[in-house]
Amino acid sequence: MTTRLERFLAFSADATAFTRFELQGTGQAREYLDTVVRIAGDTIVDRLLDLHLHAKAVAAASGNSAIMEHLLRRDVLSDPRLGPVARNIVKMWFVGIWYELPREWTEAFGAREGDVTFVVSGTAYAEGLLWRAIGANPPGAKAPGYGSWALPPHIPALAAH
Amino acid sequence: MSTASTRITTVERLREYLYLAMQLEHATIPPYLTALYSLKPGTNSDAYHVIRVVAVEEMLHLTLDANMLNAIGGSPDLTAPSFVPDYPAFLPDGETDFQVSRQRFSREAMQNILEIERPKQTPSEQHRLVRRSAPKAQQLAVVPGEPSMQYYSIGEFYAEIGRGFRYLHKEMGDALFRGDPARQVGKEYFYSGGGELTTVTDLDSAEVAIRLISEQGEGYGGRIYDEHRELAHYYRFEQLLLGRYYLDGDQPGQPTGPALSVDWDAVYPIKQDARLADYPAGSELRDAAVAFNRAYADFLGLLTKAFTGQPELLIEAVTGMFRLRDLMIQLIRNPIPGLDGVNAAPTFEMAAAAVVSS
Amino acid sequence: MVVVGSGISGSIIANELSRAGKTVLILEAGPGTDSSLVEYEAFLTRFYDAAVKDNQSPYAPNPNAAMPRSSDAVRIWPGQPDSSTYLVRNGPLATDSTYTRVLGGTTLHWEGKTPRMMPDDFRTRSAYGVGLDWPLTYTELSPHYAQAERELGVSGDVETQTFGGITFEPGYVYPMRGLPLSYLDTVVAKGIDGTAVELAGERYELRVRPFPQARNGIPNPDYDDGRGFVPVGAVSTNQVEEGGRCQGNNNCVPLCPVQAKYNARKTLAKALQTGCVDILVQTVASKVILDPVTGRVSGIEVKAYEDPVSPRHTTWTMRGHVFVLAANAIENARLMLASGLGSSSGLMGRNLMDHAYLLSWGLLPEVAGTFRGTNCTGGISDLRTGAFRRQQAAFAVDIHNDGWAWAVGSPYSDLIQMVDQENLFGARLRNALQSRISSQLQLAFIIEVPPSESNRVTVDPAYTDQLGNMRPVISYTLPDYTMRGASYARQLARRVFQCLDAADHTSYDPEDSQYVTYEGQGYVIRGGNHLAGTHIMGTSPATSVVDDRQRSWDHKNLYLVGGGSMPTIGTSNITLTLAALCFRSARHIIQQLRADASLTLPPDAPSDAA
Repeated sequence: MTTRLERFLAFSADATAFTRFELQGTGQAREYLDTVVRIAGDTIVDRLLDLHLHAKAVAAASGNSAIMEHLLRRDVLSDPRLGPVARNIVKMWFVGIWYELPREWTEAFGAREGDVTFVVSGTAYAEGLLWRAIGANPPGAKAPGYGSWALPPHIPALAAH
Repeated sequence: MSTASTRITTVERLREYLYLAMQLEHATIPPYLTALYSLKPGTNSDAYHVIRVVAVEEMLHLTLDANMLNAIGGSPDLTAPSFVPDYPAFLPDGETDFQVSRQRFSREAMQNILEIERPKQTPSEQHRLVRRSAPKAQQLAVVPGEPSMQYYSIGEFYAEIGRGFRYLHKEMGDALFRGDPARQVGKEYFYSGGGELTTVTDLDSAEVAIRLISEQGEGYGGRIYDEHRELAHYYRFEQLLLGRYYLDGDQPGQPTGPALSVDWDAVYPIKQDARLADYPAGSELRDAAVAFNRAYADFLGLLTKAFTGQPELLIEAVTGMFRLRDLMIQLIRNPIPGLDGVNAAPTFEMAAAAVVSS
Repeated sequence: MVVVGSGISGSIIANELSRAGKTVLILEAGPGTDSSLVEYEAFLTRFYDAAVKDNQSPYAPNPNAAMPRSSDAVRIWPGQPDSSTYLVRNGPLATDSTYTRVLGGTTLHWEGKTPRMMPDDFRTRSAYGVGLDWPLTYTELSPHYAQAERELGVSGDVETQTFGGITFEPGYVYPMRGLPLSYLDTVVAKGIDGTAVELAGERYELRVRPFPQARNGIPNPDYDDGRGFVPVGAVSTNQVEEGGRCQGNNNCVPLCPVQAKYNARKTLAKALQTGCVDILVQTVASKVILDPVTGRVSGIEVKAYEDPVSPRHTTWTMRGHVFVLAANAIENARLMLASGLGSSSGLMGRNLMDHAYLLSWGLLPEVAGTFRGTNCTGGISDLRTGAFRRQQAAFAVDIHNDGWAWAVGSPYSDLIQMVDQENLFGARLRNALQSRISSQLQLAFIIEVPPSESNRVTVDPAYTDQLGNMRPVISYTLPDYTMRGASYARQLARRVFQCLDAADHTSYDPEDSQYVTYEGQGYVIRGGNHLAGTHIMGTSPATSVVDDRQRSWDHKNLYLVGGGSMPTIGTSNITLTLAALCFRSARHIIQQLRADASLTLPPDAPSDAA
């Protein structure tokens, strides 16, 4: 049985198209997992991660990787309970912000303590992957050095999945 | 104790010393950067600033050495096979009572750095050299001409360089400074808040460069601040162990400035002197560590170009350091698979980088 | 001498005066410690932690010295002023301009652009029949511009800044070489350089031109007759030594993390070294007190507080020989009006100006590396002056290196749209982020606003803050002259996007608090935080508040300094010009004090409690 952190990284890698190395390289995996568990609860998080592993396993068994995304959309992203939480994980990786869950979600599944829009931490801001995705730095952090802006951006290649 | 064979009496010998000086300055950079980036973000601001500033000044010293070497017609090559030491390593000036390691920020790491930056202690020019205590393995470079001798500190090593410049200038006059002035890196390409880059074209400017390096590193004549009211590196690091900032006028070991706080635990648990072989073959981690070494090799290649006629490339090289920083931080935050709770670190194995690049 | 405000104006005056051996007391309404990096890093931490990163996000709210925030601006309906936040907005247009009340003032959050004003800008009345003439010419101010460029540490190249009538002393170079244009600038330049524009019978050729900036770059060895320039880094007592060359943090506004950008604390640090300067923070000037016989200022009443949240305070009176009000244009006028000193001209608080910013945003057909560099490195300056100014406002154009951030909140807004609306995920999300953020182009037109007496700051006892100080009441609208410029700016933006094969994404929301219509077209006009003109200088006490040395016509030992003294602002960010004015005033004050000393005046009394 893999740990929840392992499963969280596996889901996050597929969701962001960043490698596990890159995700771990932010130092933020544990903090993001703790945040989503604290607000959405164990049951929802485990269900989401299990369904992702299942989708991955089915795709591997069939030899057709496209099935993974199809199953993920069908069972997780379109699911009224899991979808908004999954999308919040994606946004958290990209900009380090937990966004308040949509009103429909709260009405259907109950308001959660701590569910407001907030920056997970100062480090989370600086580690937002959106900036890496566009070959830039988060404003005010990870400066790229004098004159670097005159050259074309270094946009990292997408990992092959 | 200085012997005829350790004295600098030829231009060739002075070039050897200056190239060793570059190796020496550079050898401190991987350990300093490793300690710096092992600090967890958002913590240890005082330690971060102290180490960062010194690392920047080591780059300044490296550049001053390149200027001196160029001034006398030498040619800096930072891509030569043995330029980057294989850590843990002895310092290239022959100091053998301690080894330099790449390790996480810790009291031990700071002690290690204090040994690197220890003040010059021998009383006179005659006593710069001491007999090496115990010849050990992995000796990278030795005192040119006298492998059984070592310099007590970096300060003594530079003192001999200074003496060599004066001696040769007396012998040869300005013909000593036969290098191409276009290779000099001017201050417009490098500055930090403390210490200014000087070009070297004559004896006076060579002595200015040597004095700046020695005083920035270790203080001078028992003083902890240099003539630019800048605190010497040794005492900067010592502040972290003593928990207090120095003020101008303080006695060594007795800082009276504001308290500083160090959180020795807010540090990533990286493997000391990590090597590529520590990372599973075929892992993302291994690939990233290899990629870092290649990027570091490119950086040294760019510095070599900057020091051999294209000084404007130094700005691009500094930008390269910012990218290296991001790669290092990624490595340091990644656990090593199979090792419980031990994180990776950049390995600075240039030989491996060369193999991969070719 | 007593100086109210520790921003750039107060810092320059205090530094110059203390160097001449004068004793200076600075009163700062906001908080601040002068010499450690701890407070500065706390600003940065606060910024990192803020979900909304506006230009006040690093600075804690302080009800005792409140700061306007751009999000405060709400739609104003006729006859219903909005007093829900510190600035009471009387309309008809809601201004979203801000200023920062901490040690060092708004230079903590300013962007750092430092263009000189153009010679024409000093004589718009005589040249174009618009606005007012200054009592000074460009040539007279030019040496003080050079002083200001030294103090602020400006990076720029004379070759690129000699245009539109701007001249420099022969052989002059900026302290540091110009910062490189961004890759985005060069993409724009490739598309538009050489585009010909006809306007009011004159022909202009557009090109992308760098802006001079108060930010450390590469020192120019030719500066100061070959003596060079030593850049000033971060202010700290503890061997920090950062703030060298700009590192491209792309965060000039709201805070340069390394202090490569100038802030007034750099000047304050020098002033403190003289030993002649004291600073009182958390000390709000509440009243200017006159000697009823001479009409001279005898003291400044202040309210000093310990805790920003608590209204508890003590009231003191600070006495001195010379008084300098160096708050910003709004706070200077507010303090005078709250003291019942409306100026014999009746102009105190009138002629409030700010630049009108019109944004246009489009998507380039290629990855242009947006979101890198300083906030802005280049733009279009070719329409900053010309015969067309008889009919319509001039403007400069900023190419924003931070994409559509100002216009629509990019890149956060893009991410939310892609994830929540477009259902993008994994690799396709990554591709979308890259192609739709890294190719953003936002043009910000900085449009001239001429002086108008009805644009003004007033006070009203009905509106006070928690210390009991009257708050500023702002009445503001944009004249047709400015709107004609805005309308033309919008047309020019369309043309630029056409040249660049860029898709125009501009749209102005009628629900926006700053939505205005002109000739049937709607626009959203933002404020520029370039507050000026509330105590304009002139040649006569009947038509101006201060003379050409920024000395009050009414009170001979009172100087009102800063943007408020400027009779026009042209298309230049105001800081460099107001800094130049302060150098000029400082020289005058020193001369004046020497002259006064030869008369019989009591010996220097320290500032004391009344």
